[in-house]
Amino acid sequence: MPDVRYYDIRCVRGEITQVDIDNGVVESAGTSFFDKAVIRVLGPQGWGILTRDHVEIDSKREVTDLIEAAARLAAVTQDQLDLADAPRGVLSVPPLGEDPRDVDLEEKTRLLAGIEGAARVDGVTNTRARYTEGIDTVRFLDSEGNEYSYEAVRSGFSVLAIASRNGVMQMGSERDHIITGFNLRDKQDLGRKAGEVAVSLLDAKLPKGGTRRAVLDPELAGVFTHEAVGHASEGDLVREGASVLGGRIGEAIGCPGLVIVDDPSLPEFGFMPVDAEGVAVERTEIIRDGILTSYLHNRETLAAVGNGVPGHARSEHGAPPIVRMSNTFIENGGATYDEIIAECKDGILLIGSRGGQVDPGRGVFQFNAEYGYLIEGGETTDMVRDVSLSGEILSTLHNIALIGNDRKMSPGYCGKGGQSVPVSDGAPHLLLESATIGGRGE
Amino acid sequence: MNGEDLINRVLREGEREADEVEVFYARGESVSTEIKKGILGTAEESEAWSMAIRTVKDGRIGFSATSDPDRWRACLDAALASGRLSTPQQWGGLPKPTDLAGTASSSDRDLVVTVDDAAGMVADLLSGAAEHPVEVVGGGANLARSYMMVANSSGTLYGMDRTVASVSLEAIREQSTGYEFDASPFRADIDARSVGEQAASLAARSLGGKDIETGRYDVVLSPIAAASILGQVLLPALSGRNVKAGRSFLADKVGDQVFDESFSVYDDPFAPGLGSTTWDAEGVPTRRLVFVEQGVLRRFAYDLKTGYRYSEESTGSAVRSGGDPPGIGFHNLFVDGPRVKEPGDERAVWIHDVVGAHTANPFSGDFSVEISNPFWVEGGDLVEPVRTAMLSGNVFEMLREIGGLGKDSRRVGRLTIPSIRLNNQQIIGK
Repeated sequence: MPDVRYYDIRCVRGEITQVDIDNGVVESAGTSFFDKAVIRVLGPQGWGILTRDHVEIDSKREVTDLIEAAARLAAVTQDQLDLADAPRGVLSVPPLGEDPRDVDLEEKTRLLAGIEGAARVDGVTNTRARYTEGIDTVRFLDSEGNEYSYEAVRSGFSVLAIASRNGVMQMGSERDHIITGFNLRDKQDLGRKAGEVAVSLLDAKLPKGGTRRAVLDPELAGVFTHEAVGHASEGDLVREGASVLGGRIGEAIGCPGLVIVDDPSLPEFGFMPVDAEGVAVERTEIIRDGILTSYLHNRETLAAVGNGVPGHARSEHGAPPIVRMSNTFIENGGATYDEIIAECKDGILLIGSRGGQVDPGRGVFQFNAEYGYLIEGGETTDMVRDVSLSGEILSTLHNIALIGNDRKMSPGYCGKGGQSVPVSDGAPHLLLESATIGGRGE
Repeated sequence: MNGEDLINRVLREGEREADEVEVFYARGESVSTEIKKGILGTAEESEAWSMAIRTVKDGRIGFSATSDPDRWRACLDAALASGRLSTPQQWGGLPKPTDLAGTASSSDRDLVVTVDDAAGMVADLLSGAAEHPVEVVGGGANLARSYMMVANSSGTLYGMDRTVASVSLEAIREQSTGYEFDASPFRADIDARSVGEQAASLAARSLGGKDIETGRYDVVLSPIAAASILGQVLLPALSGRNVKAGRSFLADKVGDQVFDESFSVYDDPFAPGLGSTTWDAEGVPTRRLVFVEQGVLRRFAYDLKTGYRYSEESTGSAVRSGGDPPGIGFHNLFVDGPRVKEPGDERAVWIHDVVGAHTANPFSGDFSVEISNPFWVEGGDLVEPVRTAMLSGNVFEMLREIGGLGKDSRRVGRLTIPSIRLNNQQIIGK
């Protein structure tokens, strides 16, 4: 096929098991099946892509037909893109502690009910818990002779508690997802914590919006890392001119000592043994000692942009791969938690995350904490609720005044281009100068 | 075996072990063309097939789904196994066949799913964007056609076609970005050139914004900003499931004047739109539902499961997404009311969109978000860009007093909504 410079096929077949318990009622508990394939052809110019349910990857005839169809699509594109050479190799998948397939659905339901029940502390009026388990069997082959297959197992849950009193409603939520085995045993503590946070938020104050010092806990500082730096360092956004970090390799964009990493090889929730276009994965330092060092790339953006590391292509089942983060974090610094709170003197401690979003072209991000505490005279005082933080990518990292020594990773899902993939992010406690705090208190 | 043969087989086999069986089947094709750096970068074509099975036995509901026709047996077995674990509930049966009233309009006979038409739409987007001095960073066009069917063991069998044409464009000028989009079942509704021009205009005109001081201001939420904030908070509060579970701020308030009397919310499944349909995702006939009438809360939305459990009637509000079981949703939702005063006539901060709407607290209604493409508006014109700021508030409180609804109602997904003026809101400057 003369007009095919490259092709690859990625099939993901698997099962999703979910259990949903709402106020003690088992709403659903069961398994569904999927079988998705993406066929990409690089024509004389750009990509032609097909997505299908259920492709026989071993059938030469079916594969040839699909490649021809994708090549016809590629013919309408005008992009001038090339693929950079990239190292190949597949890591072994971390071993499973307890295989979730060895636990029957009834036991999963009972264990989840235990977590959900633990959230029902005094003052809580509604509880809900969900278990999610995914078993993916991935097969990949490309026109360069690379072929791999692996299995990915994910298991975890989320629990939500709502407390209400005199028409006021507040929530607490916890989640825990892992790739190393069944993850529902001995987790009632997280249910209880969700309940307790919801109840204590009934008496929390609304913070006053404005500019002040803020301390971010490891979970929220992880979201900060993801939103404020991670997305803007993605090679596709840089290539398209949609990132404020474009053209800034070698510039100091953060405080001295700041190291920000994306590492798909780490056995955290964003782990992948090989990326979605068959490239070996490796630790990538986006920022080293405050200096922008590397972009995150796939083969196409590495060829177009340079200055970075490939192996960051990821895709949701049945969707084409795009450049994504995996496990993103700030490396530990030297400050203890107590030093950070004391140094803050007057400000706000923000805890947990309700998510965030970024406009990488404008360089503006926003994220929301689950709750927080005022810091007065170097000590935490009153609890506050519904507080968010916004900032500008290019200035905010210079405002990190202290980096803690207690990094922790938190699992979650990240959305981009309509695709959702598992990620983790984390950091130690951070002290930020002049943070813009959004709150509607007077 | 595919289509109706397969559905009949699943219903017959399922009935051996369950009291009732339901199959929801969908197949579709789509093409999309994606812009990369101002040119057509990628062309994609998709075919999808899915089947979801529900079984009911002694009030226990089971569910499974598959995208592989060959695994229908495993899927049926998984649905039955899932039913054995679910908590039994009051159940009055899947809907029987009925003559459907009304007509739905969600399919365009003239929409052809071809990469050539999608490529033409991209050319139109780009020519619109070229009217302003900006770089186009992304966007694209999508054309899709699908067929869906619900069938159950009581003899109900409905099928319908759906089409979607959609476009979007993202532009940048220095550090000023602009994004616009549109989607409709009808190809002729989509003016790709105008969408491209609007996105580029936003990026070009937002450049050089002035700082704003923290304080209280009158604001105008554009239809997009209003849809983002209301979609996160108001819509979940209208779901009967959230109401009965104690997760809705609006529970116990039916009959109360909860919002400004110029504010009404209704679902019209018979209006032309992306969600237009005469039957819901469980095969219950749909109807027009008024949720908020001149500020007074009138009702909530129910599906069969929540309805039977709490002795309420299904309002035909079941929807499905992906391979999930049916849940409560909306078909074509409208926010509407009398247009007395143009929201942007008197000076205010006009807000095109917000960043982080999904972080709003859906139970309390509190939110604080970053605002996108804000301008000072005066006499209906955007006169001067504002640099950047946050907007904080509470959805349930702010809708109690509305300073005017615009004549600029537009589609934002399945919601049709005008711009909304809200006076005396909290803005946090930098």
